[in-house]
Amino acid sequence: MRISWMIGGAQGTGIDTSANIFGKVVSTLGYYIYGNREYHSNIKGRHSYFTLTISDKKVRSIPEKADILVSFDAETVLQHFNEIKGYIIYNEGVKGTKVETVQSMESEAAERISKQLESENLPKTVEGALESAKRRGVKLIPVNYDEIAKKVAEEAKVQLSVVERVKNVIGIAVSTKLLGINEEHLAKVAGSTFKQELYRKLNVMAIKKAYELTESVYSLPKLEGAPERYLLDGNTAVAIGKLYGGLRFQSYYPITPASDESMYIEAHQEVLMEDPKTGDKKKGAVVVVQAEDELAAVNMAVGAALTGIRSSTATSGPGFSLMVEGIGWAGMNEVPVVITYYIRGGPSTGLPTRTSQADLLFSMFAGHGEFPKIVVASGTHDEAFKDAVLTLNLAERYQTPVIHLVEKTLANSYTTVPKQDLGVGQLYADRGKLILSPPEDYARFQFTEDGVSPRAPLGKALMYYTGDEHNEYGFISEDPVNRNIIYEKRMKKLELADKEIPEEERVKVYGNVNSENVVITWGAPTGVFIDILEETKLDFALLQLRMFSPFPSRFVSKFLQGRKKIIAAEGNYLAQAGKIVKMNTGIEATNYILKWNGRPFLRDEVEEALRNVIEKDVKKVMLSGGS
Amino acid sequence: MAGHKFHWNDWCPGCGNFGILSAEQQAITELGITKNTVIVGGIGCSGKLSQYTRIPVSGVHTLHGRAIPFAVGIKLANPSLEVIVNGGDGDLLGIGAGHFVSVGRRNVDIVVILHNNGVYGLTKGQAAPTLFRGMKTKSLPRPNINDAINPVTLALASGYTFVARAYAYDVPHLKEIIKQAIKHKGLAFVDILQPCPTYNDINTKEWYDKRVYKMQDMDPVVKSESEMQEKLKKAIDKSYEWGERIPIGIFYKNELVPTYEERIKTSAPSYYDNYPAEQKIEYEKKLTTIIDPLLEERKVSEDN
Ligand SMILES: Cc1ncc(C[n+]2csc(CCOP(=O)(O)OP(=O)(O)O)c2C)c(N)n1
Ligand code: SF4
Repeated sequence: MRISWMIGGAQGTGIDTSANIFGKVVSTLGYYIYGNREYHSNIKGRHSYFTLTISDKKVRSIPEKADILVSFDAETVLQHFNEIKGYIIYNEGVKGTKVETVQSMESEAAERISKQLESENLPKTVEGALESAKRRGVKLIPVNYDEIAKKVAEEAKVQLSVVERVKNVIGIAVSTKLLGINEEHLAKVAGSTFKQELYRKLNVMAIKKAYELTESVYSLPKLEGAPERYLLDGNTAVAIGKLYGGLRFQSYYPITPASDESMYIEAHQEVLMEDPKTGDKKKGAVVVVQAEDELAAVNMAVGAALTGIRSSTATSGPGFSLMVEGIGWAGMNEVPVVITYYIRGGPSTGLPTRTSQADLLFSMFAGHGEFPKIVVASGTHDEAFKDAVLTLNLAERYQTPVIHLVEKTLANSYTTVPKQDLGVGQLYADRGKLILSPPEDYARFQFTEDGVSPRAPLGKALMYYTGDEHNEYGFISEDPVNRNIIYEKRMKKLELADKEIPEEERVKVYGNVNSENVVITWGAPTGVFIDILEETKLDFALLQLRMFSPFPSRFVSKFLQGRKKIIAAEGNYLAQAGKIVKMNTGIEATNYILKWNGRPFLRDEVEEALRNVIEKDVKKVMLSGGS
Repeated sequence: MAGHKFHWNDWCPGCGNFGILSAEQQAITELGITKNTVIVGGIGCSGKLSQYTRIPVSGVHTLHGRAIPFAVGIKLANPSLEVIVNGGDGDLLGIGAGHFVSVGRRNVDIVVILHNNGVYGLTKGQAAPTLFRGMKTKSLPRPNINDAINPVTLALASGYTFVARAYAYDVPHLKEIIKQAIKHKGLAFVDILQPCPTYNDINTKEWYDKRVYKMQDMDPVVKSESEMQEKLKKAIDKSYEWGERIPIGIFYKNELVPTYEERIKTSAPSYYDNYPAEQKIEYEKKLTTIIDPLLEERKVSEDN
């Protein structure tokens, strides 16, 4: 079972809150959800929307076409009428609105919609759009939001303006009625968002009136036996993961979609730690600094890491660009630091609030000179959580910067994550060669067999760091022989990591592992392909790349050997992961499914693309779904 | 093994940096804080000081302009360390100007020492942000067409709570000033007039020797909230004195402004008792942080 629901409206008018309430309503019935938020780089007024998939099994994607659309304004109908297959709940008041008068809409979209309506001989208005949808079999549910609000105000004997706050629940109520969810359940969940009794009462009244408007067509009974689950978005998953992993210093400079992570950590700045042996509990501070810029952010994090603590920063493309020099210093000085890189649409400020996978090569090759770098990419919410711990471990074990890639789609989507998927209790800490009682003649960069030197916290021993080439003690040295030795020592750590980190952990496979078709993907699109594997009979193996450096060359090479179709599917123009596969294995992709319009991979468009690639051997499909 | 006690110092003979190094070492030694001290340098002749100490202090030679953020990270993670930044005028006031100003807003309890020689020494004498307009040092192809920043005024305006100026060749006085700066609770700034005999042939030792004088009539210490404004104004006024007479000494000292560390404590009360570098985040590899309440907030259950 899978139903998809969409809600849209002007930014700042409660779209997020409504989506949250709706998400809670269905997930508390035992269903799994996956919701994605799309918004402009704007605070108030521009169109934003939220798509939510409901399923009785785990779900990780949104389709191209939603079953139900809840709209309050004209733009929502105009932007999405083509993407709906079931029901459009709309505000009767906006029916007459002409396309050309919707100021907030981008001119390209307005033109496209006008042309379509014209070609269908329909008026260029909301009514025309609704009619177009109706011709395709979509059912229309007009709602007079104002009328309902007025009636509620009269009945409750309150001012109309007071009812304003509960107006959003009307659209949700019509949807939950369609879904066959009982009124009381909605009232309870929606009511819990209000503290005051009056609002709860108004809420119940509005729901009652909305429930009278339509009949139930779906039936979503309460699911029994659902496991314990959490509602997590990607930003929060990483933030909680970092805290759990022992992160104690985070610096950042505000940038979408990275800031939410740091702000979450700051809001939970004091953590409780428990000694598992004695059960003693102790509070500890986590320092979060909003720096003056990304240069400061990364270098503060590196400075903090020198004291022996777990430290990180989070940013997006423009910020990462500024951090590159600091990351190089960390590489040269073998400092464990994690940079969580939320990828959004570039170049430059590009599409600041939209998704992308175009920064993969940049993240891998960031920095002048050569130094080991570990690059991890999470695909799902539970991975984002676990990888937050993993990256902290890898940073300390190999004493090197670790870049954790999370795309905007993952950061801003939320889903129900079963408790056991998070692995709390099983995750561990690997602090590598951290020594708290260094010897008298301590040499920070002591040459060792494996290239990793014992690392003492700054202050515990005399030590010297420099971004210049240096000797074992950290003193500047341009001696050619020393240069060779210490350079190799640093680079060797990447080989060590390659030897030690199981390749199976760096790449995951799904589907028919013997299929002649292999899809190579990474990051957020992974979930879309897993859903397709679970729900269709399409024959393919899915290879999810989770670590790009050190790259699991032997595994990938062996896995791809002799396959007929190797399909690189990713959110960029150059097929960057495909290039990395080729660089490491010599094997080139045969087909491509690519998308770079700033919108996430959508289930239906991907399924269609896959059919075209597998069945008709189309070489390259450019996905263009999303509004 | 390369001995770390006798690392080669590659400053030019006669460089003012020697006086700064000497005074700084004496100050740290006399205060008995060698073990706890970390010197953070930027990039430039000045920044290398972090590599040249002959006393047992740790040194972190960072990036051009970025010594302050490194120092802030170190200090906040481990407030028990004494952290001293050394940078040039290009480093702290050119490429690193944003950090120089921003750290003032935070009043982090560290010391910032400016090696003020008017030139970009290590890159062969280009005009630095403290060089006055119209000046043509021997390394400049044309007279400098930029105006100069007044570091003392800038520090005062940015919120540094201890602001002083000293002279690289008056080591005893400089040492005292550095000691005061280290002892100061809050962010301290010392502008050190540092002749660069190699590239700055105008602001030479002879030039400074004639001009610098120790302030006598200045009472820089803020003793009550009501004095803050007045003393700051006086200090700013004094900071503009430059030319035939150049004042050295303490311009301003105010310990009434809470440090950044104290501000962290207001939102995380355990900060000093259990600061980041002290915390046990694992026991025998088992993670110790309890996140149950955070997950509980996100739990999907019928009663929410
Ligand atoms: C990002 C960056 N840009 C440029 C340089 C080159 N560089 C090295 S030292 C220096 C100037 C140092 O001048 P200053 O800070 O005044 O210190 P001084 O050498 O005079 O003590 C520059 C520009 C660099 N290392 N990094
Ligand atoms: S160039 Fe100037 S500042 Fe640098 S070491 Fe020589 S004299 Fe000193």
